[in-house]
Amino acid sequence: MSETRAAPDAVFLIHGLGGTQYDLGSMHKRLKNAGFVTHSLTLPGHGTTPEDLASVRAEDWVDAVVGKYREIRDEHPRLHLMGMCMGALLAAVLAEKESHAKGNLVLLAPPVYIDGWATPWYRGLRPLLYHVPGLKHMKIEEEDPFGIKNEQLRAIVKAKFERGENFHYRWVPLECLRQVDRLRAIVMSRAAKIRCPTLVVHAREDELTSLRSANFLVEKIGGARARMVVLEDSYHMICVDNDREIVAKNVLEFFGAALPGATSALANDPRMTTEELAAAVAVIVSRLAEGDVAGLRELAIPDVAWVQPGHNRVAGAHAGKTFAAFAERFRQAGAPRFTAFGTPVFNRGVGLLPATLAATHDGRSLSSQGALLFAFHGGKLLEARWFADDVQQDDAFFGPPEAPDSGAAQLETAFEAATAASKMLTKAPDNTTLLDLYALFKQAGSGDASGERPGMMDVVGRAKFDAWTKRKGMPRDDAMRAYIALVEKLRAAE
Amino acid sequence: MPLVPVLTALIVAIAYFALGALSGALSHIETAAWTVWLASGLVFGLLLACDKRRWPAILVGAFLGAAVFDWSLSRPVSEAIGYGAIEVITAVAGAMLADKIGGHPLRLASPQDLVALLAGALVLSIIGALLATSWQYASGGLGMAVVFRVWTLGNVLGAVLVAPLIVAWAAFRPRRSGGLPMRTFLGGAIAFMLFVGCLQYLFSADVQARFHGSVGESLTYVPFVFFAIVALLWGVRGATLATVIGALLAIIHTVRGRGPFAGTEGFLGEAALEVQAYIFAISLTGLLIATLAATQRVAAARARDWQTRFEATIAAHRLLAYEWDPAGGALVVTGDAGPLLGVAPDKLGTLADWLARVAPADRDVVAARFGERGAAGGAGDTLRYSMQGPAGAPIVVSDEARAIVDHDGSLHRVVGIVRVIAAGAEAARA
Repeated sequence: MSETRAAPDAVFLIHGLGGTQYDLGSMHKRLKNAGFVTHSLTLPGHGTTPEDLASVRAEDWVDAVVGKYREIRDEHPRLHLMGMCMGALLAAVLAEKESHAKGNLVLLAPPVYIDGWATPWYRGLRPLLYHVPGLKHMKIEEEDPFGIKNEQLRAIVKAKFERGENFHYRWVPLECLRQVDRLRAIVMSRAAKIRCPTLVVHAREDELTSLRSANFLVEKIGGARARMVVLEDSYHMICVDNDREIVAKNVLEFFGAALPGATSALANDPRMTTEELAAAVAVIVSRLAEGDVAGLRELAIPDVAWVQPGHNRVAGAHAGKTFAAFAERFRQAGAPRFTAFGTPVFNRGVGLLPATLAATHDGRSLSSQGALLFAFHGGKLLEARWFADDVQQDDAFFGPPEAPDSGAAQLETAFEAATAASKMLTKAPDNTTLLDLYALFKQAGSGDASGERPGMMDVVGRAKFDAWTKRKGMPRDDAMRAYIALVEKLRAAE
Repeated sequence: MPLVPVLTALIVAIAYFALGALSGALSHIETAAWTVWLASGLVFGLLLACDKRRWPAILVGAFLGAAVFDWSLSRPVSEAIGYGAIEVITAVAGAMLADKIGGHPLRLASPQDLVALLAGALVLSIIGALLATSWQYASGGLGMAVVFRVWTLGNVLGAVLVAPLIVAWAAFRPRRSGGLPMRTFLGGAIAFMLFVGCLQYLFSADVQARFHGSVGESLTYVPFVFFAIVALLWGVRGATLATVIGALLAIIHTVRGRGPFAGTEGFLGEAALEVQAYIFAISLTGLLIATLAATQRVAAARARDWQTRFEATIAAHRLLAYEWDPAGGALVVTGDAGPLLGVAPDKLGTLADWLARVAPADRDVVAARFGERGAAGGAGDTLRYSMQGPAGAPIVVSDEARAIVDHDGSLHRVVGIVRVIAAGAEAARA
């Protein structure tokens, strides 16, 4: 299917100082959901220990992003740039240096000025300290509020720091701030030469850099090309804080992206020809004819939704993490298969075809006629809907929904609570336990492992994938119970 | 020989000598009495703030600094060595007592830490004074009482001025964000300038000439106001810094015969004694305010952490908790009411607010049940009813109420946990 389709558009995401892709929250996933390919890199001096930042110069970061940009530039019809914090400064320099015109530019909380309300009183002494011998390695620490206004999220971040998780450096060397200051100076001098459409997203209460930074950039780039979104309920880490949905919505709209859901897909360019759509629907139909609803995830965006009508134990809108649970319940309800497919019709990323849902369970059989609707974008399934002609027939076969306080519902609630509790652990579990937690969580949330095994260089990703694969075949409820038990054990040990 | 301990000892010795020289320069001109012995605060502060593995190097430095300083005053070598030994013994005694009370390293984050510091400073000074007086007696010297008084007051003042400064600043870590923000710093800076300005104005001239009657003496209270603001805004670090600067100003002027305490000498050394008491009061006030403010901040942070944990737990379980006061009618709802009920918790301040969101068909039953709960208390009950959820959609909730009774069994509050058990179409069917 993908071989016949044009290369999708892409977004190049650049993380912030001392950070990782965690800085960008769920933007990777959201962009993938919208049909984009995402590219990212780990900036020099990052992903290891803060000491490594002391020898990195601003030019090293610029060279790294320019190198990556040139590597991926010709792979996509459009390539957007997006950076968070220092990554935004780098994205701005990159756009100017490469005369970027192949896509848009998004600058998230760019720190052109380090003048936010929580910056310490001695911030102005930095330039003097740069010239004091022996202070190059002085630790400049990150402290409350960690760029996050939401108390719950902040508690999670603090717990991560206390566990020693390597998602963000707790401190950076003074020399590194000097390089950021040099980068800020470069951005100030070159911002006026940026020629691509630019979106600046900035929080009014950003504790690190005030709105002055966003105003400066919009003014320099020019109102005709640049626009600004001001957030009212976040601090610096806007991709994970209270306004993250607003950030995502504005970014996706700015990139002209399709949002998950058939309605949205109809309103946007599906980036697929009718032939590509027909081929994609054919693959889906073959899976459904085998009763493999769970397998649709391989052909879909991470938040794919299945909408099943009626008032029965498989009815409802099942999206994202609940999709796997639905697929498992659906399979256990008499291994239903779709058969007797009619002639499909296609229109702007949507395929509609008559079908019959057939199943046998406990001596009862179902043969429900209706239609299947599939919404696609960029070759990925966004949403599938089953429209039964006689919904009562489906209800009678599948039976009433589980009571909310039934064992299954209680298990779901306990699993959600354990997931939340796992983020509040103060002691970092050892690597083996972390892998167990990951594997059980994925098995419970997404079912059997799917997708490609990460390469040799991605040691962590590979270990996680292998741990997940070892749980293959484990029923979802068992995975949830094992996960809950493991979290309880870890909490008891604290 | 390891370089770090040697360097540490050398730096401590030089600093000791320098502070000794400064203290000498601050001695009372008429009586030649030492008003403050800053060097004792240096050693005491370093012992409180530094890792105990560094104590030997610090003490060697202190011994050398003290001995060389004493020797530089043309005293015999034996006396210089004896003086150095007294400095080491007293500093260790004071630091060990402070450690026992406040722990190690001392942080000046609570009143107990402050007590530890003061107790250590007192013990340090009294032991030192006793040893020095005994030495004086053994050497056939005179004026034991004066020696005891000068030594005790000079040392205790030096200890409460310098040691807190070292302890407070030893914990300083430069930060990218967090800590004292610029706005607070500027507020403190204004108060600090007013504090220093007031002191300078009061102490820099003959108060009898500048003010009439006893106005000059009365105005010595004015700097306290600005100093209190400095301590509140700048915290322990700012308070200790302002104390040292203010103390030096007051002492310099007083020992040179200026300021409110230099006017009349009822007895020899009265001015020096008065300025010592004044500085002690300033130092203690600043430390007390700053440590109490720090205690408040720690308590607030703990309360916030507890609240965050509680809210995370009930949000993860998709629960709401309420507390209803049947007597006053106030209702306090805790939890993420926005996604569950479509309304902020502060919009549900009374039982009437809650009942207004209950489905009309269930409202009378729920109101009656709350009436029973408020009248009788009892062991508690569970009630299921329909409510208005987000965007007006119906939801079904399970409301588990319990009574909280006071010591004589009377109902104090009704508390409950509300769980959404059905929403949307399912709730409509229910």
